[in-house]
Amino acid sequence: MIPDPAAFPQAAHAALGDPRLKVALGRLKTHFVHKRADAFERYGDFEGLRDAGAAIRDYALSNLDTLLETFERNVTARGGHVHWARDASEARQIVLDILRTAKAKTVTKGKSMVTEEIGLNAFLEKNGVRPVETDLGEYIIQLRHEPPSHIIAPAFHLNKEDVAQTFRTAHTDLSPERALDERSALVAEARVMLRRQFEAADAGITGANFLTAEEGSAVIVTNEGNGDLTRLLPRTHIVVTGLEKIVADMDDVAVLLRLLTRSATGQDITSYVSVMSGPGDRDDGPKDFHVVLLDNGRTALLGSETGEVLRCIRCAACLNHCPIYNSIGGHAYGATYPGPIGAALNPGLLGLAKAQHHPNASTFCGRCAEVCPVKIPLPSIMRYWRQKEFDAHMAPKAMVFGLSAWAFAARHPALYRWLARVLARGLRLIAGRKRFVRSLPVMRGWFVARDFPAPQGKTFQELWRER
Amino acid sequence: MNARDEILRRVRGRKAAALPRPLRYVRVLEGDLTERFLARARAADATVEVLSSMAEVADAVSALLRTRNMAASIHLPPDGALQGLNWGALQVLQTPPGPEDAAVSFAPLGLSETGTLVFPAGAARPASWHFRPGFEIAVLRVSDIVPDFETALARLRSAWPHTINLVTGPSRTADIEQTLELGAHGPKALAILLVRD
Repeated sequence: MIPDPAAFPQAAHAALGDPRLKVALGRLKTHFVHKRADAFERYGDFEGLRDAGAAIRDYALSNLDTLLETFERNVTARGGHVHWARDASEARQIVLDILRTAKAKTVTKGKSMVTEEIGLNAFLEKNGVRPVETDLGEYIIQLRHEPPSHIIAPAFHLNKEDVAQTFRTAHTDLSPERALDERSALVAEARVMLRRQFEAADAGITGANFLTAEEGSAVIVTNEGNGDLTRLLPRTHIVVTGLEKIVADMDDVAVLLRLLTRSATGQDITSYVSVMSGPGDRDDGPKDFHVVLLDNGRTALLGSETGEVLRCIRCAACLNHCPIYNSIGGHAYGATYPGPIGAALNPGLLGLAKAQHHPNASTFCGRCAEVCPVKIPLPSIMRYWRQKEFDAHMAPKAMVFGLSAWAFAARHPALYRWLARVLARGLRLIAGRKRFVRSLPVMRGWFVARDFPAPQGKTFQELWRER
Repeated sequence: MNARDEILRRVRGRKAAALPRPLRYVRVLEGDLTERFLARARAADATVEVLSSMAEVADAVSALLRTRNMAASIHLPPDGALQGLNWGALQVLQTPPGPEDAAVSFAPLGLSETGTLVFPAGAARPASWHFRPGFEIAVLRVSDIVPDFETALARLRSAWPHTINLVTGPSRTADIEQTLELGAHGPKALAILLVRD
């Protein structure tokens, strides 16, 4: 499957009919939604904390130029290198050049959405470098040649039998008789197989959850420890990340961390938080340290009507709380960033022509904005993109016709009154004694899973006039 | 124009007016620092034992290894805080630990808020040793427990290390069916020896 955001309606339809996906999606509520709620309940001051988080991100975005320059200066002072990439292809080339200079053939990778965004793995493979994903979920989907379906739980759409099958196919040097029924056996097998990769890798590539200007540091947040082995064991460490990840200093990170881990997995803190600044020392850590700062459409969003999306810290709480994402999962979006954050971000990064369906994939229930740890007004931003879609005459003809007809009626009160009366009585007639409309010649899809209660009594305007 | 200059030019052309630095978010932790550390570390699946002096560390380490049916052998970094101890009958190795080995480490700071060990890396304290072994035994002094990350950062700022590792409990993953499993890539277990001094 080649990810294609324009094919969203068909892909969403297919996802709705996938019974296995439904089982996986059922786990979102217990694993993510409830745990997050409990974590903030224990903490007590979610609103105060997220006010602080939003202010920290807004400060950083409004001082982006000076913070990035300070970051570059401090990374360089520690013996590291900062590279700037205008777009995906420039970023891929920078990474490849670093790897060629380092004569790297095998590269371990920590979990990184930005390297998904720039399609790094396929590019490296084409150029003779073997990338090995080391986050367990990412490793599984890499073996299966699938893209991630969730920002922080990339393989959540699979069950343990899928994983066992994948490992049997991939790890051919292990005994085919071995038992892989338990999750613990799968984790243990991945631990052994990937440790070999860490030991053999020439370079390691990680993302960054945060960059800090004052210390010239990159921060990663993990539970497995794979990001750290990726940084610390090979000779060369490359951080690839979006330039909007910068904040002023580590004190700001301390505040955002409290928001990130609780929002993402409901943990007060993850097993590992690592602050990485420049190359290591003589006996431990990388000899070379590089940071690749990616723009790829981000600066175009700065100061725009949708600029608040750049506050995002990629916790995925909006996905977990979204009724649309909970129904179709991540693959249907055909883009790196699914769910509400994708719906708000993708039209800006990919262009409205490609991602026009994403902002329409919302019921506007507003839960995404309620749980966002940095207060991104996600529904307002989606509404903005819908407006743009309408203005550009990209909206579907039926929708434009329907809305125009409604607008015409709304501006002609006599017509509106007459129509309301006729429609209400008509629906009542069709419903008959059961008082529910079971189907109509229009909106057939809507009626597949629903009945419509027929209007009873007088219309609102008739009642209003009587008062 | 090169990429760097072009990106910075785009930023300057588009960003909103520079906001002033927001006020620091401050939240005072209530209750006893040590008690909270103990509770949070245990909640994160670490075991914590309280010792009354550094002299008890070696015996406690031996007991931990016996309980886990592991050989009486530890990997010890060239850290002065640990090298000075009398390790008795334990075999002490200086080489980097493998994925089934036990390693002992000294944490110069602990965070009460989350039950977290803070490891600034250095020549005597290799960062990778917190991820290589199967079992990490960390020694922390009660007097080195600080309220939160901000307090720890203030102490670290004068000599910023190449890597700072915050470690809270053992390595874990929930990537298969969203069900927690310990020991993904890093240690399968973490034991903290908390020394009153």
